[in-house]
Amino acid sequence: MNNEYKPKKTNPIAGAIGIILAVIWLVIAIVPFIFMILNSFKDKFEMLVKGIFQLPETLNWANYQEVLTGNFFHYLLNSLVVLAVSLVILLFISACAAYPLARFKFKLNAAIYSLIVACMSIPMHITLIPVFKMTQSMGLYDSIWSLIGPYVAFAVPISVFILTAFMKGIPVEIEESASIDGCSRYRMFFAMILPLSTPGLSTLAIYNGVTMWNEFSFAYTLTQSSNARTLPLAVWDFQGQYAMNTPMIMAVLTLTVLPMIILYVVLQDKLVKGMTAGAVKG
Amino acid sequence: MEKNSLEAQRKRNTAICATVFLIPVFFFLIVYIFYPIIDTFIISTYRWNGISADKTFIGLSNWTALIADKTFWTAFLHNIVIMVCSIVIQIPIGLLLATFLEFIAKKKGISKIFKTIWFLPYLMSSVAIGFLFTYALATNGGIISTVSGWLGGGNIDLLGNQKTALFTVIIIIAWQFIPFYMVYAMAGYSGISADVYEAAVIDGATRGQYFWHIALPLLKPTLVAGAILSLVGSLKYFDLIYVMTGGGPGTSTELMATYMYKLSFSQFNMGYGSAVAAGMFILITAVALVSNKLLNRGGED
Amino acid sequence: MKKRQLAALGMAVVMTASLAACGGGGGNSDSGNGDSGSDTPSSSSDSGSGSSGGDVITFWNIGTEDPDATIMQYAVDQYNANDSADSGYTIEATNIQNDKYKEKLVIAMSSGECPDMYTSWSGGPLREYINSGYGQPITDLYEEAGLDDVYLEAAKAQATFDGEVYGVPVLNISISGVFYNKDIFADNNLEVPETISDLEKVCDTLVSKGITPFALGNSTKWQGSMFYQGFATRYAGLDDFRGAYDGTSSFESDCFVYAGNKILDWAEKGYFQEGCNGLSTDDGQDKQAIYQETAAMLYSGSWFTGTFAADSEEFYKAKIGWFPFPECDEVDNGAEYAAICNGTVGDQFVSFSCTDEKLKEAFKCATYYSTDDCIALMVENGKIPPVNNAKELLDDEVAISICEFVESATDVQLWYDQYLPSAVANAHLDNSQLLFSQDITAEEVAEATQKAMQEYLDQQ
Repeated sequence: MNNEYKPKKTNPIAGAIGIILAVIWLVIAIVPFIFMILNSFKDKFEMLVKGIFQLPETLNWANYQEVLTGNFFHYLLNSLVVLAVSLVILLFISACAAYPLARFKFKLNAAIYSLIVACMSIPMHITLIPVFKMTQSMGLYDSIWSLIGPYVAFAVPISVFILTAFMKGIPVEIEESASIDGCSRYRMFFAMILPLSTPGLSTLAIYNGVTMWNEFSFAYTLTQSSNARTLPLAVWDFQGQYAMNTPMIMAVLTLTVLPMIILYVVLQDKLVKGMTAGAVKG
Repeated sequence: MEKNSLEAQRKRNTAICATVFLIPVFFFLIVYIFYPIIDTFIISTYRWNGISADKTFIGLSNWTALIADKTFWTAFLHNIVIMVCSIVIQIPIGLLLATFLEFIAKKKGISKIFKTIWFLPYLMSSVAIGFLFTYALATNGGIISTVSGWLGGGNIDLLGNQKTALFTVIIIIAWQFIPFYMVYAMAGYSGISADVYEAAVIDGATRGQYFWHIALPLLKPTLVAGAILSLVGSLKYFDLIYVMTGGGPGTSTELMATYMYKLSFSQFNMGYGSAVAAGMFILITAVALVSNKLLNRGGED
Repeated sequence: MKKRQLAALGMAVVMTASLAACGGGGGNSDSGNGDSGSDTPSSSSDSGSGSSGGDVITFWNIGTEDPDATIMQYAVDQYNANDSADSGYTIEATNIQNDKYKEKLVIAMSSGECPDMYTSWSGGPLREYINSGYGQPITDLYEEAGLDDVYLEAAKAQATFDGEVYGVPVLNISISGVFYNKDIFADNNLEVPETISDLEKVCDTLVSKGITPFALGNSTKWQGSMFYQGFATRYAGLDDFRGAYDGTSSFESDCFVYAGNKILDWAEKGYFQEGCNGLSTDDGQDKQAIYQETAAMLYSGSWFTGTFAADSEEFYKAKIGWFPFPECDEVDNGAEYAAICNGTVGDQFVSFSCTDEKLKEAFKCATYYSTDDCIALMVENGKIPPVNNAKELLDDEVAISICEFVESATDVQLWYDQYLPSAVANAHLDNSQLLFSQDITAEEVAEATQKAMQEYLDQQ
């Protein structure tokens, strides 16, 4: 996208307003995040007496120390494994499914597409009991592997939906020219469609990655021992029946969010790269 | 003759190929989604507390009760409000942010900072959001009330007030989800070939003209799909409502999902809870498919 | 080509149907899962990791955070250290956070996978577990182990259903009462009120000084419910409530209308923390007002002794006092009704779903909670254990006054929202919450609650 052209007539007032609004939104987006971090440094009593929206008196690293000496790294490892395996499976099979739905003409296409949209509509909580039963009978209960199935399955409808919309946008000429070259559909998928879908896949990796990372319900339904717990359950160690240790929880949540920020920053570039790839081949 | 059989051959190949590509997805869907849906419909025909080994088959009684259940329909209405507000707020702002990023894409450093910080709300867990916003909205030392105090107004109670609670949570949900629609629109922009932008610029289009006349029509399919996503997500929404208001004050923020959850897991009424879940499933699917059709038809005109 | 598609689709349908048959029918016959022959109903209480066999006793509780985590683990460790070798059983404890605990229990029970031992709050949910076959009576075991000598009679009564004991009380006396800031009272020449009218005078003074009388975080609804229960109990004792529960009286009785009107009146006069229906006790917004000393009183459960002490021992020792919800001076029997205690004696109860030998061993594990060492551990961590000699063990003034009130209490009534069937509790909570924002009348609350109660009674 490094073109030399500049739009000729950008209204300077509109530009200024745009920048002001952008900065305002910057503040709106970051302020709660900052307070999450600030409160993670406070003492429990101090936080309540001085108020949530005050600066901490001292940067009290003890909270982080306590969190990190607990089970945190174990939970982190579990979460990373579950996330990596689930995302790879999810993105691959969703792309596979989206391809025929977006590009093929066959009779059941519309019906299958509707069915997948319908699958988006299922309320998650009602599936807990059947999924629990199934996990038990598969012998996967109380292991991190039990989470991969539901995480993939519940992300599939949305992913197929988005990818189908995305693949419909890839110009038909690409396929036609490849088809003339005698390229089979399977090769075409891996050689052309999959690379061209990188922006869509990155979007999905971000969306589903965050959802899976913060997923809570299946995590506590399908696991039991602390060995099999994932990061969202790490806050439990600081939540009692009638009160919680909020600064500690904020510390856990701050640490939890860091890997996701890294993932996002990495994938961000993919969004741009996908764009140039599209531009070159288009 | 020859041509026909070739045609048939091609169609058959297409079908086989489609099946191969679709099998893995269907494996997961059948095991983890079709089965629970069917299970839900079966349980909805029983009176069952959810834990006992005995259930009583009661036919469609739960369903007739559901149709006459005011709480359910009020909850559905709340979901519709969330849906409309979410589509109207989240997608345009998300698109706006993505457009801004698109225009400053050349300034890589700055655009990266904006992109990252704007995305942060989506990364925060509902626990943290619930906690911080409850305090920010508190009448005692909360941000809104403090600002109102500076301006000479009194304390403003947004979450504890039946009339404002739902809209307050809607704003917070929007805050959380706008970044997703931003990223989504960014992916949409990436599908527009750079040539298009260059051509427009050479023709002397302003950024406004480029956005309204060129980018927006090209983004329309992406935005329509985004609207469907937002629609489905809003109609089965649960998280922040459950964390922040628990459906209250009174039942002023009760949603279909929170209602279903309470019936199934705390009121020992799994049979009826399943009927609510199945009812939700039917309603959401219907709304989604109809909207999908209408919106896409609009696109073809 | 059609055939292939049909075949593929047909396969999908068959798979779905067979799965559904397997699972849908599974509720009726626990052996529906098929692949493991040992999965018969009799071993269905054998939850958890499938490989464990009959030697593991599973125990679920909500002690995820300290000190509860340590206390709940205490009996488990003791049993495993002292008795495992002889009995061949080991206890495997799992802690699950409070908010999700009930849900996880329902999910496990729905598949016949109930843990062998589990804690609950007694009341309506425990009755439901028992009725569904997941609670074993332990009356004889309780007696033989001599627990009557240890635990308060009221604690046992709370775990007793239809004459049988179903739970071992643990942890805490959690009754409602008013925590107040002694400094604020002294500075404003206020005395601890004896009657509701006195309390109202105290509140009026506080309001005139710009101090919020009652801190209240009512977004969870059950905090406000305590006021409703407090007023109703002080106005007419427990007959109306228990009558409403078994259908001989009604939630439209005078005492409930009185309770509703009192709350409306107090809300009107600004006795409650502003915007209380949007404030969350889970997030600590009520205790924040106490710590910031912008509110003078907190009417809540006595577990707050532990919470205050954990937040700031110094603040708690220096400033906090306690008195029971005062007597109603508008009725003749006010003094008698003022001796009734609202809340729970024994914050948690350990119940059992296993039988025979296993039950005996599981029960043995639970008896470690009643040992002197474990009770000392509870006291050390700010608990008020529901035991006969609690008063002698405590050195904290507030805890002692709570203890004295419980000992002198003529009766104990569990929280409305725990005691009532969940659907009725829900109607009670949803409607009574609106009193605090004056969005409903006392009569409407009474009517709605009674309607839910009637529907429940009709179904039985």
